[in-house]
Amino acid sequence: MIDSRFMAAWLRQAAEEIEVARDELCALDGEVGDGDHGISMADGLAAAAAAAGDGDLDRPVAETMRLAASAFLQNVGATVGPLYASAFLNAGTRLQSHPDVPTLLGAIAEGIAARGKARPGDRTMIDAWQPAWQAALNASEAGDDVVAQARAAYRAAEAGVEETKSTIATRGRAVRLGSRSLGYADPGAQSAALMIRALVSVVEEWA
Amino acid sequence: MSRRIRSADGERAASPPIPLRFGEDAVLWAAWLYYKEGLTQNEIAREMQISRPTVNAYLADARESGIVEISIAGDRMRSLSIAHQLSHHFGLDDCLVMPGASGERSLIDRLGDAGAQALVWHLRPGAGVGIGWGRTMLALANALPDDLDLADMRVVQATGGTTARIPYTPEACATRLAERLQARCIPISAPAILSSAQSRDLLLQEPVIAEQMAELGRLDIALFGASSLRQNSTVHSSGFFDNSLQRHQAYGSAVAALVGRFIDAHGEPLDGPLEPRTIGISLPDLKKVPTRILVAGGFDKVSAILATLRGGYATVLVTDAETAAGILNAEGIEPAPNRSQRRMASQGLDLSRAGKDVGTVKKFLNAPRDAVRESLEGALAAFPGHLRMLEGSVHSLAASRGTQDGKVGLVIGGGAGHEPCFLGYVGRGLADAVAVGNVFSAPPPDRILRCTRAANGGAGVLYIYGNYTGDVMNFDMAAEMASAEGIEVRTVLTTDDVASSPASDRDGRRGTAGNVFVFKIAGAACERRLPLAECERLARKANAACHTMGIALDPCSMPETRRPSFALPSGDIEIGVGIHGERGVERDGMMSADGMVDIVMDRLMEDSALKGGDTVAMLVNSLGATPTMELMILARRAAQRLAARDVKLHLSWVGHYCTSLDMTGASLSLLKLDQELTDLLEHSCDGFALRMP
Repeated sequence: MIDSRFMAAWLRQAAEEIEVARDELCALDGEVGDGDHGISMADGLAAAAAAAGDGDLDRPVAETMRLAASAFLQNVGATVGPLYASAFLNAGTRLQSHPDVPTLLGAIAEGIAARGKARPGDRTMIDAWQPAWQAALNASEAGDDVVAQARAAYRAAEAGVEETKSTIATRGRAVRLGSRSLGYADPGAQSAALMIRALVSVVEEWA
Repeated sequence: MSRRIRSADGERAASPPIPLRFGEDAVLWAAWLYYKEGLTQNEIAREMQISRPTVNAYLADARESGIVEISIAGDRMRSLSIAHQLSHHFGLDDCLVMPGASGERSLIDRLGDAGAQALVWHLRPGAGVGIGWGRTMLALANALPDDLDLADMRVVQATGGTTARIPYTPEACATRLAERLQARCIPISAPAILSSAQSRDLLLQEPVIAEQMAELGRLDIALFGASSLRQNSTVHSSGFFDNSLQRHQAYGSAVAALVGRFIDAHGEPLDGPLEPRTIGISLPDLKKVPTRILVAGGFDKVSAILATLRGGYATVLVTDAETAAGILNAEGIEPAPNRSQRRMASQGLDLSRAGKDVGTVKKFLNAPRDAVRESLEGALAAFPGHLRMLEGSVHSLAASRGTQDGKVGLVIGGGAGHEPCFLGYVGRGLADAVAVGNVFSAPPPDRILRCTRAANGGAGVLYIYGNYTGDVMNFDMAAEMASAEGIEVRTVLTTDDVASSPASDRDGRRGTAGNVFVFKIAGAACERRLPLAECERLARKANAACHTMGIALDPCSMPETRRPSFALPSGDIEIGVGIHGERGVERDGMMSADGMVDIVMDRLMEDSALKGGDTVAMLVNSLGATPTMELMILARRAAQRLAARDVKLHLSWVGHYCTSLDMTGASLSLLKLDQELTDLLEHSCDGFALRMP
């Protein structure tokens, strides 16, 4: 069911949600990092959404995600640029054969992990994507419909964000803060949860 | 001479005169006698010829009014307060928090000492003590005095054994503890992890093992550590667990291992494939032991300790102050404040307000989102003799003199917001091209690739940039693309910031203002037409010789938000800040300029191993808002410190070299010189921010 049109709709919705949270994400990042996370994510997703929504939407989803990845990367660089570019490229490839929600979330989690070499518990965006993927997979194996899969993913992502408050960074810029990052959610996990919330609303609309 | 004063109760009217040095202040006199001369309140009452309750009231007055500040051994006081908070929050019977690092003793050894103290406190004759395994447990056993002379003690190994090649196996820890306590040692004559559930069940039926296991049900005290399951923690390398099993899905949410069992962040036991194959005290049985002493510390253990405390596995916690504060932070509890914060709070200042709702910071901006592009357009307009734009992109700039054939090309770059870094160091004898990202964000690979092509004169290209995750990813991607086009690229990361990681983890340090020295030296090497490998070697050598540390007095604000990037109360400073407006590694109260330089110079001189007769170059750099006048005050003290060690100051740069937008603060960098580096540093160069004849 996931095709170019769906991905364009999701990226547009995600870009809107992140744009609303732009300042909030920057403030959170200011406490644990350098304060640019909201800007990078909002600009990157806006570029990705524009590229994905442009042109012939009957094209293969892999092609759409390649355009989105390239637009995200060329517009922001930063840390999130290479990470989401890898995630989107991987998602495009994997969705060609398995166009479902668990595959989308899994491909993103794997793409980010491969590029950033982070693992669950390292206090990164992986701590939202990974449990979301797992929850969607469990829901799908239990026979739940696609809306329930996305909702389960979002709940798991939220819980993952909460967990980052009690973990110390081992990757990314917050690593320099040592225990001082405790008590704050990881901004990357927070923005990932917002993207998954956007996925829920798009899935609800399309189902 | 002295006059008499009237106190409220008229007592002092008939009292002896107050010694001159106390003025008319009876409170000050009382405080002096009590705190400095060590008299008791009764003795003071006699000396001052007033009643004892009046002495008491004077002393309370002295504390209230701030004549007396309890600051002696502030570290210890803070540790006590934090221990109290932890006990209260987690319902512990006792908590021992060691004050911050002191001297050369390792954290493990200090934890061992403190754990031994806690054990001795709880030991009674005839006690059964169970002990886990690990470095801290062994250190604890070693730290025990061997003259305790308690009768009928038993030491029980809390888990089965292991053949792992570690000195701190369960067997070793139990044996050592038993020796020290002159206790009977009861080992568990079985492996901790069996190959199958069946063999475990069979072994447990063996009478010898059943008897040994029964001892675990009669413990008075359990001593154990908490293993972090984080990537680099020793539990993975120890060989205690089978690593492949540990990655089993059932353990996906595991954050700690206690006595060979896994728990999640809430302290719930995890039932995985290892569980039915494990021999040792079970978690429910552990909870039945009356006194359960958890000894653990270190940043990486915070999650593990937190999970253990949440699960109620410990009744006594022994840890260090940093870790304890981390645990409280993670639970959303503000750890006991340091002295300066308490003083401010008592003055009625609202700490939460500072740095947050202070309104927007005024800046010279048009549309905030255009700030980076417009600043680069401005640089191109202002310095046409130095910079030119590549392929219509203002974010990729090259030296205006064009590509130099046969010369190694030097490409530098990073986020915007550090001006004049990095574009001010492009030109003859410096870098050939610079890639610029958004504010504090790495430039994307295509911009770096454009710079690489422009810098390539056929002799290869050297990338030099600060060690940040984002920069590394983007530059690495660009290097891959360049290599696909047949351009050889070498990379040197700058890692001069001593505050960001210990000296033992030099490669983990971030790059800050000291990178200007590295650009200068590498630029000179390239200009001299040295081959790529040689340019790379010299850049690495310069980086290794360079050390930086920064202090912020006020945070910076991003053009887009125009709000301070973090909250910093007005009486506090951040020590160890980088160049991205991020918080430092620790906070302290405001102090004199010389005091701050001393903190920084102590670290820099230690890390550079400076000794008499050495020669250095110094960079006193503004982080943005700090004026040159103050930089010179810092330079003055830094030079005094170098002179006192008989270190020769070959050259100083003072000014805005690598900033963090409008942060108020400064960094000091030292570059330790030898003849080779000195020659390159002296080489002529011409960038708009750095010119040498």
